[in-house]
Amino acid sequence: MNTLPDMFWIELRKVLRSRVPFFTALGFLFMPFIGALLIFIYKDPQLARQLGLLGAKANLTVSSADWPGYLNLLIEFTALGGFFFFCLAISWTFGREFTDGTLKDLLAVPVPRFAILLAKFLVAALWCAVLILETYLVGLGLGAAIRLPGGTPAVILHGVGMAAATAVMSILLVMPFGFFASLGRGYLLPIGIALLALILGNLSMTLGWGEYFPWAIPGMFLQEPHLPFFSYIIVVCTSLAGVAGTYFWWKYADQNR
Amino acid sequence: MRLRSQKSKEQPMNWIIETEELCKQYGTVTAVQDLSLRVAEGEIYTFLGLNGAGKTTTIRMLLGMIKPTHGSATMLGKRVRLGSREPWADVGYLVETPHAYPELSVRENLEAARRLHPGTPRQAVEQTIERLGLAAYADRRAGTLSLGNVQRLGLAKALVHRPKLILLDEPANGLDPAGIVEIRELLLEMTRQEGVTVFMSSHILAEVARLADRIGIIHAGKLLREMDMAGLERERRRRLVVRVRDREAARQALAAAGFQAEELADGSLALGQAGAIERPDDIASALVRGGTPPLQLLLEEEELEDYFLRLVGVNGDK
Repeated sequence: MNTLPDMFWIELRKVLRSRVPFFTALGFLFMPFIGALLIFIYKDPQLARQLGLLGAKANLTVSSADWPGYLNLLIEFTALGGFFFFCLAISWTFGREFTDGTLKDLLAVPVPRFAILLAKFLVAALWCAVLILETYLVGLGLGAAIRLPGGTPAVILHGVGMAAATAVMSILLVMPFGFFASLGRGYLLPIGIALLALILGNLSMTLGWGEYFPWAIPGMFLQEPHLPFFSYIIVVCTSLAGVAGTYFWWKYADQNR
Repeated sequence: MRLRSQKSKEQPMNWIIETEELCKQYGTVTAVQDLSLRVAEGEIYTFLGLNGAGKTTTIRMLLGMIKPTHGSATMLGKRVRLGSREPWADVGYLVETPHAYPELSVRENLEAARRLHPGTPRQAVEQTIERLGLAAYADRRAGTLSLGNVQRLGLAKALVHRPKLILLDEPANGLDPAGIVEIRELLLEMTRQEGVTVFMSSHILAEVARLADRIGIIHAGKLLREMDMAGLERERRRRLVVRVRDREAARQALAAAGFQAEELADGSLALGQAGAIERPDDIASALVRGGTPPLQLLLEEEELEDYFLRLVGVNGDK
């Protein structure tokens, strides 16, 4: 595994030189800005009425115009939007080798296949973590800028802890999308499955099975932080299955591209 | 090249590539069938075939990218297995259209290739850039390169770790004539001076004739023939074309000397017998004796393309 630093360097260089991370970072920036805007409107009902639909939506979304309400909003946004952007990140990391035709250059090399794949997973996870960090740094700055009340250290720490736990689960749950990108030899299959997972996640939560469906578990966690232990096991197993599936597929499937 | 072929015949062979009844089937379609071949150390072996003949499938099986339906391949003494780490430290390859990471520069792409071959010294990147004539483009993003330079970059990636065996799929694709000559010289230098073995596919037959020690002709997944360049020369049809003023008199004079001539569309006479081809002066003498001296004697050799198409049975009666 002494080749891992070199593989990590290669993967990191590919990501840093690409425009895709920039666009995902830009997309993620919308979340704190929209959250802060909704809270700002909620704080001023007069302005909310003047803004019509946006005001009505703000009234529906925001629970309270203070730090706990704002942080809850951010966590919900990052749980839903974050999952989708994380899927984009990991799908790009794996799918690009197929769409750019560069996969063949990674196959007949004297480096363990697992080191190449682990570097990809690590870089994708790092990418997701940076997006989350960006969101919360900007989010906390915006919360302070609009002078939200109730920003005690305990509230902030609780919010950041919830955000971190949700982010970790979301990152673990996108690992199988590396497999879907490899299986579909590009981006379409993982993005299609991501949409399906969101729909099925909502459906399973509605039917009361959310704690059993991997991609509903972060949403369930936001509603009820004390989930049964097996829900966390399901998250970890889903992630490991994704990594293992990707490894076996890269190692044993015929590679014609 | 001929000298090297003779030498390799005299010495015991060290086979760098060996395949035993290699076969690949996709459902009912047989892409490669019972392919057995051997490539000796320091040899340039060229694989000739039409599109879809099975060349790329064979190269991918040799590189462990595709699992054979049955049969086996050994390279550099190591059995090729799907997903294995051996014997790739000493193998460089270029399969189908070369691709590079478009957002990385030429130098960065080569650095990535270097890191994929642990133990390759850092300076190998700059040396390879110089060797492949990429110095002017070293800091350009690969996505902005011309097709020819992408091909050079693909070759550079295959060579950066100084492999003992190089597998190249259509290496001259996209190169201009100067580039083709440059790459040919580079491959010849590597085989002559460094003992590198080259296994390549190509459809540029004239290029094959200049470069290869041996060729294998593959058609519809089967290896039809293997021959060295001398064998290829022997098997190409040759004929002596004679232009005369009086065809009938010439035909009678040649018949009297024991030669059968065929009349061509342009009025010339063609002789295919070995005696005529090997001794055109006898033909000239016979014609002079018959009172119809030749205006022109021309030894025509079958074009490589025509020979190849004749061999694979496509439009081969020209």
